[in-house]
Order: sequence, then C-alpha cells, then structure tokens
Amino acid sequence: MAKLSRRAIATYVAEQLTGQNDGKSDSKKVILQLAAYLVDTRRTKELSLIVRDIQFYLSEAGSVSGVITTATTLTAETKKAIEKYIKEQTGAKTVALDSLIDPSVIGGVKVSIPGRELDATVSRSLTVLKTRFKKA
Amino acid sequence: MSELSITELSNDLRNAIAKLETTGNLDEVGVVLRVGDGVAWVRGLRNAGYNEVLQIETEEGIVEAFALNLMEDEIGAVLLGEDSKVKAGQTVHLKGSVLSVPIGPELLGRVVDPLGRAIDGGPAIKTKQQGLVEREAIGVMGRKSVHEPLMTGISAIDVMFPIGRGQRELIIGDRQTGKTALAIDTMINQGKQNTGVVNVYVAIGQKRSKIARLVERLKQEGVMDQTIIVATSPADPASLLYLAPYAATAMGEYFRDNSQHALMIYDDLTKHAVAYRQMSLLLRRPPGREAYPGDVFYLHSRLLERSAKLSDDLGAGSLTALPIIETQAGDISAYIPTNVISITDGQIFLETDLFYQGIRPAISAGLSVSRVGGAAQSGAIKSVSGGLKLGLSQFRELASFAQFGSDLDEATKSQIERGQRLTELLKQHQYNPMSVWQQVASILSVTKGYFDHVPAVKIKAAQASMLTRLWADHKKDMTELDKGGKPTEEILKSIEVTAISTAKGFEG
Repeated sequence: MAKLSRRAIATYVAEQLTGQNDGKSDSKKVILQLAAYLVDTRRTKELSLIVRDIQFYLSEAGSVSGVITTATTLTAETKKAIEKYIKEQTGAKTVALDSLIDPSVIGGVKVSIPGRELDATVSRSLTVLKTRFKKA
Repeated sequence: MSELSITELSNDLRNAIAKLETTGNLDEVGVVLRVGDGVAWVRGLRNAGYNEVLQIETEEGIVEAFALNLMEDEIGAVLLGEDSKVKAGQTVHLKGSVLSVPIGPELLGRVVDPLGRAIDGGPAIKTKQQGLVEREAIGVMGRKSVHEPLMTGISAIDVMFPIGRGQRELIIGDRQTGKTALAIDTMINQGKQNTGVVNVYVAIGQKRSKIARLVERLKQEGVMDQTIIVATSPADPASLLYLAPYAATAMGEYFRDNSQHALMIYDDLTKHAVAYRQMSLLLRRPPGREAYPGDVFYLHSRLLERSAKLSDDLGAGSLTALPIIETQAGDISAYIPTNVISITDGQIFLETDLFYQGIRPAISAGLSVSRVGGAAQSGAIKSVSGGLKLGLSQFRELASFAQFGSDLDEATKSQIERGQRLTELLKQHQYNPMSVWQQVASILSVTKGYFDHVPAVKIKAAQASMLTRLWADHKKDMTELDKGGKPTEEILKSIEVTAISTAKGFEG
C-alpha cells in the first residue's frame, strides 16, 4: 500500500472529528484509529506534524485553536478582544486560544493559529530591523 | 448604476480597504522541518508559489530562501544565505514576491552579487527599478533579425565568425585555452571603439582573486565605467551560483529594453550546470544523464532565449550573449556542451593543440561557426572575409597532410605558405583588440598577396609597420574605413601601395 500523505491523514481525521462524513462524530474512536495506523506504519515520529495538520483542517472547518504569546499576563478583556478579532478574520464558529507568557517577546502580542500568525511583538520588529541594518 | 451615489460608493470602498488592511496582519506561516546542505524543508505555506521568496526568522535576522519543490506535505526551499543560522522549528513567512534584483544605470562600474548587493567595497546599490530574476523571453513579434555587428576586436572572429548584436555565440574549449581572454578582449573593445555597448560579466564560481584582477584590468583599460560584474565565488552557496546568470540577465535586459545594447558574458555555464545539479540532487529530484536533472536543457535555453535583437517598435535594443563552456579533453559531445551548442547561434571552439603551438587565440577554423554569418558583418569586413574561413581550414588540413612528405606541387606549396602567413597574421596578443581599419588592411595584405615575399616569422612585424605607416600617411582614409562602409577604390589603392612598400623591408 502506498504511503498516505500527512495531508490525506489529517483531512480524514478532521472530517471524522467534525462529523462531515455521516453527521456523527466519535472522537475517541477516530483517535484510536489514528494511533493504530501510526503504530502499524511506524510513523509515530510524525505525530506532532499530523496533529498540526489536523488543527489546520479543523480551523478550516470553523473550529480554530491557537496560542497567544505575550511578555506579561493578558487581561480577560484583551483576550476576549483578540478572540473576537480572530473570529472576524477567519470566519470561525469557535475560537479557543491558550495564553503563553514568554518574556523573550519583550512586548506586544503574537497570535498563532493553524497556518497563520499575527506577530506584533517587539522581538519581531527587532529582528526585521536587524536584517535591514545588515543589508544596508 | 446611476442610482448608486458617489458617497455610498466611497464609503463602501473605504470599508473594503479597511478590511483588507487588517487581514494583512494575519500572515500565512510555515515551520522549518529540517535543514541541511543549503536546503530547508518547510511545512505549511500552502499558498506558496514556485520560485517565491520565503523569509525564515532566525536568531540573527531574516534569512531568505526560494521555493523550488512544492510537494503535498512540504516545500523544498533553497537558502540564499548560510544554512548554519537556520534551525528546525523556526517560523517561515511568505515575502509575497518572486526574486528580483536592482536594475538600472546605477549599477555601471560596480561589482555585485546575484542579489544585487555591492561586493566591491563601494556604497550600497540604490536603483530606481527592480527587475525580475526569472522573466519570460521576448516573443516572435518583438524581435528582429540580427543585422548589426558586435565587434570583438579579434580579427579571427570578426572576419571568419562574425557576431551580431542579439546573437548567442558560445565560446567553448578545454581549461586554459583562452576562453575568458576572448571574452575580456571583447569587453575591452567595446570601450576602445566607443561602441556604447554595456558589458555584463557574470562570474560563476570564479576565484575572488581572479575577479579582482579582472576589475583592475578593466579599470586600466577604461572599460569599467560601462561594465557590470556579477560575481560569485566557489565559497558561495549553490543557490547564488544558480541565480547569478539570471540576475545578471535581468540587469542586462534593462539596457536592451531602453534602446541600448548590452553584452552578456556567462563565465561559465558548466559551473552553473554543476551548481544546479547539486541543488537538484539535494532537493531529491531524480538524476538523469551524468546525474544532471531532467530540466538541465531548459535551465540554459530559458536563460539564453532572453538574448535578443528587439524590433523597432520595442526600441531596437539588443542583448548579445557569449556563454562559455569548459570541455574535458576537447570532448564537445558531452551532455552540457551539446546542449548549449544546440541552443546558441554558433560556437567558437578553442583547441589546446593550437594554443600550445603558439597560435593564440587558438580558434579552430573547422569546428567554429557563426550561424548569423555575413548579415552581422560591416561592409568593410565583408569585403575581405570571403573564402577566408574555408582557405584556413583547407590549409590546416593540407599542412597536417604535408608533414608526411616534402614533394608538393607548386599550387599546394603556395596555398600552405599563404596559410602560414594568414595564421601568423591572425595571432593576436591579449588586451589588444583591433579596430575595423586595422583588420581590413591586415587581411588584405595577405589575401591579395602583398606580403607573399615576407617570411611567416616576420609577418607580425610587417603588419605592425604597415599599420603605423597607414595611420600616419592615410589617417583620413582609415578613419573613413573604420566607419564600416565598403572600402573605396582609393582606400584599397592606398592600402596596396603601403603594404607593398612595407613588405620590401621585410623580405628574405
């Protein structure tokens, strides 16, 4: 049997999870199926990539999950505003964002959702500045 | 439509623009999966296009790469910088454009890398325009047949294998046979004869010391002001070597498209093919003959097709190409040489044997050809070139045959002697390009038999003396002849008289 691409596996799992195939979704069963397939085909190393791909297809189906990275803790209001912004931008039905505190971003905010990113951090601006300075 | 008010329309437009502006911030991103040997494999970026520039965020700034392998699960991108800075897990953004380089007259006199960054220690390059590195060649209707000569200043070439503006003429030969020397002399001649042709020299994987020497020489000869050098060294990543000729062509095309004339020298395309082979193998593309990828022909054909003579509607500019190919032991039937021979409009084949016999430039009269021919010759040169190539090839064949015996009839003897004189005459020192009148007078003196009594060893001295006398005594005629028109009876007479009287001093 030809090796299935990550894209094909992720699409299948995402469809099963959202119940696009037959209207029913049994997440436990699908996860078990995927685990068995990866063990059987010795592709467990690709697990994290496949999970990311599944997230991508889930976000396309309207269920976005992602991470907000900031240097300091965000207020609930700001988090809500960001979630609202992501909802508007992606047209998703549900948005679930985890918060991550990372002092190395210095300031600003970085929102990572599957396949897309909004990087308004100070560290990113500094990287861009560093590159421009090097080029000149 | 008429019911729609301007205010409404303007509001709608403002809203649409506002929405577009905000979506711009949510960029599409990918992640570096693995990296090595100048190639990064990226996951994500499903909207990346072929040849599109990717920006990888490293700790020391942004490293650019361009996407060459677009596969179902990942992208194979060739890095334009050092791979040591790039690590797995780093974020990759789409730049939103394909590769482009600065173009324009600001580049004249500069040495740049294939991305248009100055490497001559001068100020940063600032041009008004950018040109696409990969660009489609001009179509049929935008072209015109090649008809203006591009004088190389090397009489053996200008007389026997004329090169026209817009032509692609391959310079091919083993290592150390004078291939680059021919190209450099051609560049110098553009300055000496004030042709206005812009030189673009592309050094593909050449030693930096060699490039430094070349720049010095061009400065000495006063040609650097009309020259752009795009240089890559063996220490550069293969991606830069691969890009060099395309980037340089984009710089040359600026002049072509602005009604000017440019000369491209690709030194050399063998190294270019090797760099592309390296990249292709690392990108895991299937190897073919000599391990080159299947599209190695297209690699060179799409590059050389950009050389053209434009139609009058497009400004009648031109881009001439002199690609260089290095052969192994004179084998012109190897993969890359046959490819480039079939793409170009002729080749100048340099032979090792001739080179070591002291015949320099070591041009093989039999294997060299220019498929544009007389159409790209000025009237002056055409008037003396008839039958010269055939005569010289016949002489070389006769000469090798005559080695076996000494009993030769008079006709053969005289043909061999004239051939020897002609061979001597066509020898030319490096950095010494000849103008039109010098070439015409020299060739006439041998083909018309004015130098028949001058021994072959004294031919060069006789030629130099005759040229000095002609310039001193008939400067006006020679200046007229230099314009390229067919020589008048009067001019021919003055050459004859001067040649015969000069020959007397060198007889015996």
